[in-house]
Amino acid sequence: MAVTAPTPPALRPPAAVSRTGAAAVTAALVLLVVALAVTDITQGTAAVGPAEVLKALTGRSDPADASVVVASRLPRASAGILVGVVLGVAGAVLQAVSRNVLASPDTLAVNAGSYLALGLVGVTGVSLPVIASSGVAFAGGLLAATAVLALSGLGAGTVRLVLAGTALALGLTSVTEGLLLLFPQETEGLYQWNQGSIGQNGFDGVVQMLPVCLVGLAGLLLTARRVDALALGDDAARGLGVPVRATRVTVVVLATLLSAAAVTLAGPIGFVGLCAPALVRPLARRHRAFVRARTSLPVAGLAGAGLVLGADVLLRALVPADTAVAVPTGVVTSLIGAVFLVVMALRLPDPAGADAPERLRVPSRRAFLATVAVLVAVVAAVTVAGVLLGDSKLLLGDVANWAQGRAGRAVSFVLDTRVPRVLAALCAGGALALAGTLVQAVTRNPLAEPGVLGVSGGAALGAVLLVTSVPAAGTWGIAGAAFAGAAVTSVVVFGLAARGGYRQNRLVLVGIGTAAATTALISLIIVLTDPFNATKALTWLSGSTYGRTMPDVLPVALVLAVGLAVASARRTELDLVSLDADTPRLLGLRLSRARLGFLLVSVLLSATAVASAGTIGFVGLVAPHAARALVGRRHVRVLPTAVLLGAALVCTADLLGRTVIAPAQLGAGLMTAVIGTPYFLYLLVRGRR
Amino acid sequence: MRRLLLTAAATTAAVLTLAACGTTEPVADSSAKPSEAITLTDATGAKIKLDGPATKVVATEWSVVESLVTLGVDPVGVADVKGYKTWDTAAPLKNEPKDIGTRGEPSMDTIASLAPDLIVATTDLTPAAVGQLRKVAPVLEVTSADGSDQIGQMLENLDLIAKATGTSAEAATARKDFGSKVAEGKKALAGAGLAGAPYAFSDGYVTGNQVSLRPYTSGSLIGAVNEAIGLKNAWTVKGDAAYGLGTTDVEGLTALPKDVRFAYIANKDDASSTPFTGALAKNAVWTSLPFVKAGEVHRLPDGIWMFGGPDSMAAYIDAVVAALTK
Repeated sequence: MAVTAPTPPALRPPAAVSRTGAAAVTAALVLLVVALAVTDITQGTAAVGPAEVLKALTGRSDPADASVVVASRLPRASAGILVGVVLGVAGAVLQAVSRNVLASPDTLAVNAGSYLALGLVGVTGVSLPVIASSGVAFAGGLLAATAVLALSGLGAGTVRLVLAGTALALGLTSVTEGLLLLFPQETEGLYQWNQGSIGQNGFDGVVQMLPVCLVGLAGLLLTARRVDALALGDDAARGLGVPVRATRVTVVVLATLLSAAAVTLAGPIGFVGLCAPALVRPLARRHRAFVRARTSLPVAGLAGAGLVLGADVLLRALVPADTAVAVPTGVVTSLIGAVFLVVMALRLPDPAGADAPERLRVPSRRAFLATVAVLVAVVAAVTVAGVLLGDSKLLLGDVANWAQGRAGRAVSFVLDTRVPRVLAALCAGGALALAGTLVQAVTRNPLAEPGVLGVSGGAALGAVLLVTSVPAAGTWGIAGAAFAGAAVTSVVVFGLAARGGYRQNRLVLVGIGTAAATTALISLIIVLTDPFNATKALTWLSGSTYGRTMPDVLPVALVLAVGLAVASARRTELDLVSLDADTPRLLGLRLSRARLGFLLVSVLLSATAVASAGTIGFVGLVAPHAARALVGRRHVRVLPTAVLLGAALVCTADLLGRTVIAPAQLGAGLMTAVIGTPYFLYLLVRGRR
Repeated sequence: MRRLLLTAAATTAAVLTLAACGTTEPVADSSAKPSEAITLTDATGAKIKLDGPATKVVATEWSVVESLVTLGVDPVGVADVKGYKTWDTAAPLKNEPKDIGTRGEPSMDTIASLAPDLIVATTDLTPAAVGQLRKVAPVLEVTSADGSDQIGQMLENLDLIAKATGTSAEAATARKDFGSKVAEGKKALAGAGLAGAPYAFSDGYVTGNQVSLRPYTSGSLIGAVNEAIGLKNAWTVKGDAAYGLGTTDVEGLTALPKDVRFAYIANKDDASSTPFTGALAKNAVWTSLPFVKAGEVHRLPDGIWMFGGPDSMAAYIDAVVAALTK
């Protein structure tokens, strides 16, 4: 696994030395934030524009207008500034201590941890005061951040950190979304809240969070000198007498405290902690004053405030006031942040030759056959269990009657609806596993899979766009729209990552950025077109086989068959492509065309899988890995094993989702995330050794 | 991993052997008994044929559950029974129906196991799910809401359900009762000098530190009833096409006229649904609103389902009249 420690900024030759330059930049930022705040104050649902605000501020307006400014506009603007500042500072300081330009409250799963903690509290039906719920959010966020940092190692790989954080965030969010679906009344509004919005009910929230934020900010400024020392490297810092471990722990706790305060106040506002420091970093190259944390942290905070307020102002300027109330600010910052993530991934130095192949034993032919036989038995068993189990339990005799067309009405119906769901799960699982195997081979990247790369997200976006604009769209239409979405995202992702070969880190980071953008866009579409139907979004994003019929399964089954045929016919090419960049060329293989063909097949596979069962993550990642661990690297063996594993995994997840909380149900995607996240994290930890 | 797989396979094989070859239901017998058949066309234009008036009825949405209860038909299956009992006490269930899961994704298995004569669904259920339900029993799909004529739609749905369940007499009574309730309400309000008075109904939700309000515009069922009893809907917010619901925040309330009367329905079992007495109590925008100062904010009794049928709307009329003429 690659170790990417960017050059500490202090080592860069300072280009400009002027102190006045730094002061001017800071002043300009302050002015920008003030201008944005003033604009924000004049926007809203009440008819209180610039003129009324001016009157209110000079105490000459009527009391109603004044109350709007005082109790709604000013709290919103100050919440925006506060949230932006603390997220910017938290991101900057996390990046400094981990020497990692991609560390932020989002990539450390702090937001997801807080979200889950608040969701758990919501389910119990207890309504807590702001301070207490902030404490709960802090505990959740700190736990998640600790887990991510422990798994990825401080100061080590950028990619590992982002992957561990993203994976944990996905797993935690899946659990929270499960709670939302299970307890719709108790958690009402939590879904919208999850997108982050700075609207406030009076000054109470801001006033209660302000001391917490001040303590956090003051603490960080006090440790700023030690943070600077850490930027020189652990050994250098120790040489200067700085307690490395204690400093890291203090900084992470304080940054989590700040993020938790922001989450409590406004929900998770996405990616501000990532973008704000990134915006400030180029300044450090031009003005030496910004090299020191004590000066760069406040500037990062200002940039954060500018981002949050800018997103809010932009939203309210573009969308009519009544609609803007429903669109969360966090969706806008997530979109901006996703673009940032992609751009930074493209600029990130990527050490070559880091992809040492996994050291795997090669099992005997007999062992391989035994494994396949066992897997076939498992898939058969899960299939039969899937058909028999559900709200109403059936017996094999029922199935026999049904197959002969002699079953009674109830049994026929249950099987008529249940069998397509089982088949959809089997085919989608197999298709995603095959897609993952192909992508991992072509990109020689053990972490590539359609979900992580944003291809599944693109497919879901295409499908949601069609379903919202043409409610009566049919099976093939949805599959086509999903394919179009998947094709567009894969052109973007693979196109951007292709420059200089499919470098591991770049591909995965660009993919994660794209995946985040598609999720934000799906949320935006649902909020704008169908605001009272959060279930609709969750159903699409969580992967569900609900209401599937035989014709819905057909596209994915066909593509799976074709994909298997192509992959097994070209299995030697797959072996060569996955080996390294040079061998195939020496053997006269047209590398780019082979790659393109395999990628096209995998995009088709992911798109049809999404059309038939929604976005199901992790299968494309877990199945090929487990297959290689079981039967070795050769694709003649990996292909059948991975497809069987994927089918078994999704079918099991679907079965559990349908039965555990019957008659209500959970999507298969939620269950696979709950199973897949620990495995993904295990892979990361194992890869570290 | 391999040992795990082996164990899994072996265990499942054992379970399957135990489950083998039994049946949970006897083989279908084909002798059907003919009785007076009913044929009708539902909201989607689908033809529905019933052998006789349906008695074992499953309902996937609370509004149709309420209609069934009004007509004296006790449904055997209801989506989210607990939620119905919380939010709709104007037409309480007289039996203990089976819970068929969520309103958005009712469980096919559970519905099938009830072997109903008729399933009543609304156009809010996905076409895929309705298609599957049609295989288990005839599905009567009624329009969930129609912003251009909510009361007409509500009564039309009641009539359709009555036809399918052979309770047209009960439907006629309910129609007449509702008509006289509207007339009675209108008279009472006019008597109190409230004819044409500006009035706004809303509900609201608290999430974290934010309050979001949902105005019921004149395109909503409540809004239509308000106009029927002679009140003037004061909302200028635009609602959605089907339910006539808008979105706003506390600021948006400043657009309401000074002499408006404001009413809302919340639920004591759902703390997040009561912002008006909780989160907003100390909000300066809220407290400085002229109608709040004048005490013209009325909490109507819990359990009147805002998207329900004639019973809920009759209870609503009683509640509004009582609140405004107090």
